[in-house]
Amino acid sequence: MANTVSPLAVARRRSELGLVLLAAFITGAAYVLASLGKNASLPARIGPFLVSLLVLLVCAHIGVRKFAPGASPLLLPLATLLHGIGYVMIARLSDRLAGLQATWSLIAVACFIAVLVVVRRVADLLRYQYTFLLLGVFLQLLPLVPGVGFSSGGARIWVSIGPINFQPGEFAKLCLAIFFAGYLSEQREVLSSGGKRIAGVQLPEMRTFLPVMLAWGVSVVVMVAEKDLGSSLLFFTLFVVLLWVATERSGYIVFGGGLFMLGAFIAYNMFGHVRDRFSIWLDPWSQYNGKGYQIVQGMFGFAEGGMSGTGLGLGDPTRIPAVKNDFIFAAIGEELGLFGATAVLAAFVFIIGSGLRTAIRTDNAFEKLLAVGLTTILGVQAFIILAGVLRVLPLTGVTLPFMSYGGSSLVANYMLLGVLIAISHSSARRLHEVPQ
Amino acid sequence: MNRVIRRLAIGLLACYALLFVQLNVWQVGKRAELRANPLNNRESVRQFDAPRGPIVTSDGVVIAQTVEIPKDQRDAGSYAYQREYPTKELFANVSGYYTYAYGATQVEHLYSDVLAGNTPKQQLLAVGSTFNSVDQTGEVQLTLNSELQKLAQRQLGNREGSAVVLDTRTGAVLAMYSNPTYDPNTVAVHDNDEAGAALEALADAPGKPLLANAYQERYMPGSTFKIITTATGLEAGFISTASEWPDENSWTPPNTKNPIQNYGKKTCGGDMFEVFRRSCNIPFARMSADMGPEVMVNGVKKWGVGEQLPIDLPNAATSTFGGEVADFTDSLALLAIHGFGQGSVQMVPLHMAMVAATVANGGAMMKPYVVAKTLAHNGTELSSTSPEVWRRPISPATAATLNTFMVGVVNNGTAKCCLALAGGIQAAAKTGTAQLNAPGETQRSHAWITSFAPAEAPRVAVAVMLKGVNAQISAGTGGTLAGPVAKVLLDRALKVVPQ
Repeated sequence: MANTVSPLAVARRRSELGLVLLAAFITGAAYVLASLGKNASLPARIGPFLVSLLVLLVCAHIGVRKFAPGASPLLLPLATLLHGIGYVMIARLSDRLAGLQATWSLIAVACFIAVLVVVRRVADLLRYQYTFLLLGVFLQLLPLVPGVGFSSGGARIWVSIGPINFQPGEFAKLCLAIFFAGYLSEQREVLSSGGKRIAGVQLPEMRTFLPVMLAWGVSVVVMVAEKDLGSSLLFFTLFVVLLWVATERSGYIVFGGGLFMLGAFIAYNMFGHVRDRFSIWLDPWSQYNGKGYQIVQGMFGFAEGGMSGTGLGLGDPTRIPAVKNDFIFAAIGEELGLFGATAVLAAFVFIIGSGLRTAIRTDNAFEKLLAVGLTTILGVQAFIILAGVLRVLPLTGVTLPFMSYGGSSLVANYMLLGVLIAISHSSARRLHEVPQ
Repeated sequence: MNRVIRRLAIGLLACYALLFVQLNVWQVGKRAELRANPLNNRESVRQFDAPRGPIVTSDGVVIAQTVEIPKDQRDAGSYAYQREYPTKELFANVSGYYTYAYGATQVEHLYSDVLAGNTPKQQLLAVGSTFNSVDQTGEVQLTLNSELQKLAQRQLGNREGSAVVLDTRTGAVLAMYSNPTYDPNTVAVHDNDEAGAALEALADAPGKPLLANAYQERYMPGSTFKIITTATGLEAGFISTASEWPDENSWTPPNTKNPIQNYGKKTCGGDMFEVFRRSCNIPFARMSADMGPEVMVNGVKKWGVGEQLPIDLPNAATSTFGGEVADFTDSLALLAIHGFGQGSVQMVPLHMAMVAATVANGGAMMKPYVVAKTLAHNGTELSSTSPEVWRRPISPATAATLNTFMVGVVNNGTAKCCLALAGGIQAAAKTGTAQLNAPGETQRSHAWITSFAPAEAPRVAVAVMLKGVNAQISAGTGGTLAGPVAKVLLDRALKVVPQ
């Protein structure tokens, strides 16, 4: 079992511990600097903060050491670094939200460890793929249930149960990724052969294609009924990427891209809010006093930061609407400058690299597709919001994984990270790098 | 599948490379352009919403200060600092106001860099305290005394007008108050719309409360101008203490049919000393006409009439004699009228105080100033004002002669009623009643007095001007109306200024 000492596992966990401590150090230093910049004094309760930070991160590390000793040593430190910088930014923006986010951080790490404990053999998840499909669809559609779901900021993605508000869509992503990976790993032979040829693309049998159409249908519902363009785009990308990887047929990318273009065209003509997003993207200046204000203020924030930033606590990011959620990257650009913002981009690139390396290393088709799916969720979601904030794409509001304020997003992403680390560990086991 | 996963990795990497490129565009490439965009007010708000040092009177009363708004009373994204004027209207005309959308005025405007801590000296002093950047603000110390200023306010009461108190030896302004005025707190609010509405209302209000009437407005001086006419005559050798003027109640200048009369149509004449203390009009009308345009206009110019007053405050007014040499060449009657301060002669109240101070100071006219010194946050002196002579319109001998004339006004003339100072200190003065109405209309006049004390070794000068806004306010002469105000101010000023 995992308790048997393996030199490689020990080396990996030592690297991870070192890197986690480095992330903790960076977070602690940034926390102190932000307070000095903002209030010209050391933060109140700095001692308890540093202790809880250290305890939390070391607990996460011990969880990995105990339950996934063979996993990649990079994933956890990268996530905690992003989490730490995001937390410092939120604390710098609002004292009140800092307390809430701290509680959510605790829950997120607990859920992360829980995932490691529960998912001892990732391949076992395959058995529950249809359960995850139902759970995913249920969670995704939950905000549409009258009396439970509600709209906020134009999108109907919230659910209120008792005192707790959360976004079930964040968890639906994880469920649907498991389903897609399971379904495609079993059907990839069928999907990559047979069927009719239309326009040079070999289409599979309608029967096998049906669940995939269902997933696509969900993403359309998300866009139309919940007005959540970002999540819809994310689901669709996830589905196309997994189809492409599973079948190794580039035709799916072309087909998916075409389907997306068509969908975008129809949505543009049908929905005012989609047209708004496009017109703001093309020319925010003429709508400065209205819908363009946020993106223009974001650009001003980036410009203010320049190369090295104004310094933590010394900028003026609070003037950007939703800066703690969707626009947290603009606050980072302003106060940490090009250097800090590039570090954040690099951390996401490294997470993607680690995730995809995990996918390549495992020879189990389900684990491979699941690792690709989870990495795609993280990488593409971050890309969608970063591209929106930077005006590379029209802005669609999704959270920046590990960094934005919000409990649902943080908890879901830590659970996702847990599964990814579990896959990494199981591939190490299969490669006999650590004992079976 | 690994081949496809590698392609996916490359694709995602390309996406992030695109983000990196765009990040460079905003943060480096178009940085200057975005920061200079007129919609981008980050820089100006940051400069505005910062700690700012106080403006303090010579006796240590804070008249402008910045307070930090407690965090729990701030809205998200709202200002952290509020400029306050604890003395409200009292020093509005000196401190001015400080706003985001409408700029700043007076000391707040001229000394903005010092108050904000932005002068090179202050920034050098702040080096080494990187984290404690909050306190590099400067302090401006005024020459004005809060007690004197309060007294001026109380003495004017609800009457429109100005009172100026100067240190005759340095030109330091000890008090400068005018009615109507305003409360800068009503303008320095954070809400731009509210500030704009307040300013608009003040701009439209009668009496121009936003203008510091004492140094930004000019008024017909009446007989106080006779000091300058007499000085010009003495300097040019046209008159002497021995000059005699006929007793007469009417005189018609050359080339006109309109006779000039004395105040109250009285018969008036005698030697120079007597016509000055009694303030006869005809002798000064004759004097001007006799001297002619060239001597008179050039003599008046020596006093700085026609030039902006050199006070260390923005937008000071310019006194005027109402014409150049050529304007009077064919109109000696006009010159005669201007000779006793009527017609289109206009003097700034501060300037009239400077005239008395010049006589007091042996003929040297000092530059008036309100800022004594500026200090850095740690008390280091950044600058201090040294007294400077602006011009020397008259010789010490002429000054001494005028001094005796003005003592006569107090002891046995138009100011006899009201300038007996405490402790038997001898004052010197000249009164003025500037007639604003045309003959036959209701009597309406500005009441003036300009004075200094002690006559034998002068230290302070006081000018008071009460605006003739209606007949009620005009029911008296400069001596009876403005005299009592000057007395109270002289008494107190002599206690404030050491010997």
